[in-house]
Amino acid sequence: MSVYQNTSAMLKRLSKDANRITFSYLSISLLLLLFMVQSCGNSAEDSSDAFKVALLTPGPVSDAGWNASAYEGLQLIGTTIGAEVSQIETRTPADFEQGFRDYAGAGYDLIFGHGFEFQDAAATVSESFPGSVFITSSGTTVRDNVAPIVFEIEQATYLLGMISAYQSKSRKIGAVGGIEIPSVKSSFDAFAAGARSVDPEISVVVSYIGNWEDAGAAKEATLALMDQGIDFIFHNADAAGLGVFQAAQERGSVFVFGSNKNQNDIAPDVILASAVLSIPTAMLTVAREVQNGSFSPSIRRLGMAENVVTLVINSKLRDRVPIEVWDAVAESEGKIRSGELTVPRGF
Amino acid sequence: MDVVIFAGIAHAGASFALPLLLAALGEIFAERSGVVNIGLEGMMLSGALGGMIGSYFTGSAWLGLGIGMATGVFLAVIFSTAAVHFGADQIVAGTAVNILALGLTGVVYRRVFGITGSTLSVESFDAVEIPLIHDLPMVGALFSGHTPPVYIGFLLVPIAAWVLFRTTLGIKIRAVGEHPLAADTAGIRVQFIRHGCTLFSGAMAGCAGAYLSVAHANTFVEGMSAGRGFIALAIVIFGRWHPFWALGAALLFGIANALQFQFQAAGSAVPYQFFLMLPYLLTLLVLVIFASRTYPPAALARAYARR
Repeated sequence: MSVYQNTSAMLKRLSKDANRITFSYLSISLLLLLFMVQSCGNSAEDSSDAFKVALLTPGPVSDAGWNASAYEGLQLIGTTIGAEVSQIETRTPADFEQGFRDYAGAGYDLIFGHGFEFQDAAATVSESFPGSVFITSSGTTVRDNVAPIVFEIEQATYLLGMISAYQSKSRKIGAVGGIEIPSVKSSFDAFAAGARSVDPEISVVVSYIGNWEDAGAAKEATLALMDQGIDFIFHNADAAGLGVFQAAQERGSVFVFGSNKNQNDIAPDVILASAVLSIPTAMLTVAREVQNGSFSPSIRRLGMAENVVTLVINSKLRDRVPIEVWDAVAESEGKIRSGELTVPRGF
Repeated sequence: MDVVIFAGIAHAGASFALPLLLAALGEIFAERSGVVNIGLEGMMLSGALGGMIGSYFTGSAWLGLGIGMATGVFLAVIFSTAAVHFGADQIVAGTAVNILALGLTGVVYRRVFGITGSTLSVESFDAVEIPLIHDLPMVGALFSGHTPPVYIGFLLVPIAAWVLFRTTLGIKIRAVGEHPLAADTAGIRVQFIRHGCTLFSGAMAGCAGAYLSVAHANTFVEGMSAGRGFIALAIVIFGRWHPFWALGAALLFGIANALQFQFQAAGSAVPYQFFLMLPYLLTLLVLVIFASRTYPPAALARAYARR
C-alpha cells in the first residue's frame, strides 16, 4: 500500500515537472521561431544593393511633434529616392551607440540620430564604420562622416516670446521642457530673449519634467505655472507636451505654443501658434547629397532664411491678438530672414 | 505663498497619488498572498491604452475605465499562469510582462490611431465637488473637486483594510502568503487565492493606468506610466503591506511631486534636477526611518506546489 502511495506521489510530482518542462520548452521554441523569422528578414534585406537609411529617435514617433517629423522625413526619403528605410526608438546613451552600430553593421549608408544627445555615440561609432554617414539633429560634433543638421528653432521661439510679452497680462510667461539638453534650453533662452526685447522686466519661468513621455507630469507642471499667474506657455517636451495642451484646455485663460511641428490643430482653442521645423525636407536634402556623393561634413544651420523654420499662427485665434502685435512680429521675422537680427543661440 | 498655490499643491498631490494608490492597493493583496507582481508598470501602461481606446470608441469614460481594468486583468492572467500555475520565477515573469506591455501598447496604439500620432482627446470625467468638505481650506482641495475615480480610490482604502483584516477571505489571503503549506493543510485553496489576488492587482493597475489616460492626461502617450508602477511597488513596502499606510505613502509622494513643480514654477535658481529628485529623496528618507519595523509576508515571491 505504502509503495503504491509513494509511486502515486512520485507520478504526480513527475507530471508537475513535466508540465513545467513543457511550458519552458514551448516558450523557448516560440522565441527561437521569432528569432528565425527576424533573421530571415534581415538576410533578405542584406542581399539588395538599395540605398539604405535609418533613423534613431529618442522617444516614440507617435508624439505628433519632434519624433513624428523625423519619421515623416524617413518615409519621405523612402518614397522620393526609393531608399530602404528603418527606424528604432532608443532611450539611453548605451542604446544610441548600439543602434548606430547595428545599422552601420547592417550596411546602412546614412543613419540619423534625432537629437542633440546622439552626438557622442555618433562620433564613437563613426570611427569603426567609415562607409556610413551619421547625421545628428542639432549638435556641434563634426567628423569625416559625422555632421549635425542644426534647426534654428530659436528664430521662431524668439518670435513666440515677443507675442507672449506683448499679450501677457501678468507679465509672467513660462515654458515646460522634457530634459534640459542644450537644444531645448537654447529654444527656451531664445523665447526669453524675444520676450525681453519687448518687455525687459518680464519674468520667464522654465519647468522640466525629467523625461519625454509623462504627459500627466507635464500637465501638473503646467497647472503649477498657471497657479503662479503665468498666462503664456511654450513647451518643448515632445510627447509629454500633450499634457501642457490638456492643462491649458482645462483651465482656459492661458495661451500655449506648439513646437517642432504644426501642433495648432491638437488644441485649436488654446494653441496660439507653433514653432515649426521642416525636418522632413532637411533630411531629404542630406539623403540626396549622401546618395550622389556630394556630401561634405559640416554643420548645417537651417533657419527662416532657408524656409526650414517657420512660425505658423493658428488662424482660429489670430483675431485674439491685435494686428499691431502681428505686424511687429512680422517685422522681426523679416529682420531675422535678412540677417539683420541675430537670435541668440545656446551652442 | 497664497491660497491658490496651496490649493494647487493639494489638488495636484491627490492627482499624482491616486494612480499610485490604486496600483499599490492591488499589489498589497497580491503580496499578502505571496505573489510579487512587478508587472504593475506594464499592466498600468496597457490599462492606460485600454482605457483610452475604450473611452474613445464607446464615448463613455466609465466604460473606458472598465476596459482599462480588463486590459490589466488580461496581462495579469498571463503573469499568473506563468508565476502561480507553472511556478515560474515571479520577478522574471513580471519583468517579461513589463517589456511585453511596452512594446505591445506602442504597436496597438499606432495600429489604431496612426504611426505619427493623431493625439486625440477622449471622453473624460467631470470634477465633482463635495459640499461641505470643499469649503475647508487645504483639505478641501485635497479631498474635493476631483473626478469620481479619485473618490472611489480613496474609499477603497478602508474597504481593502476591512477585507484584509476583518473577513475570512482576508485571513485566507494572509495565511496563503505567510505559510502556504499550513493554509493548504487547513483546506484553503492556495493557488485559487493567489490567482485571484494576482488578477485583482492586475485590475487595479489597469484601473490606475486608465485613470492616467482617461481622467488625467485625457490622451494616451507611449510610455506614459513613466515608472509609476515601480513607485507603487515601493509604496507597498513603504506602506508595510497595509492599505492605510499605503494611502499615507502615496499622498506623501504625490504631494512631494506637486510641491516640486510649484518650486520650479516659482522660478527658483536651484537646478531642476534637485526638485525632480525631491519625492524620491523624501520617500527614501521615510523608508529608512520606518524600515526596521516592516515584516514582509513570509512566503513572498515563493512559488507553491503540493509535494
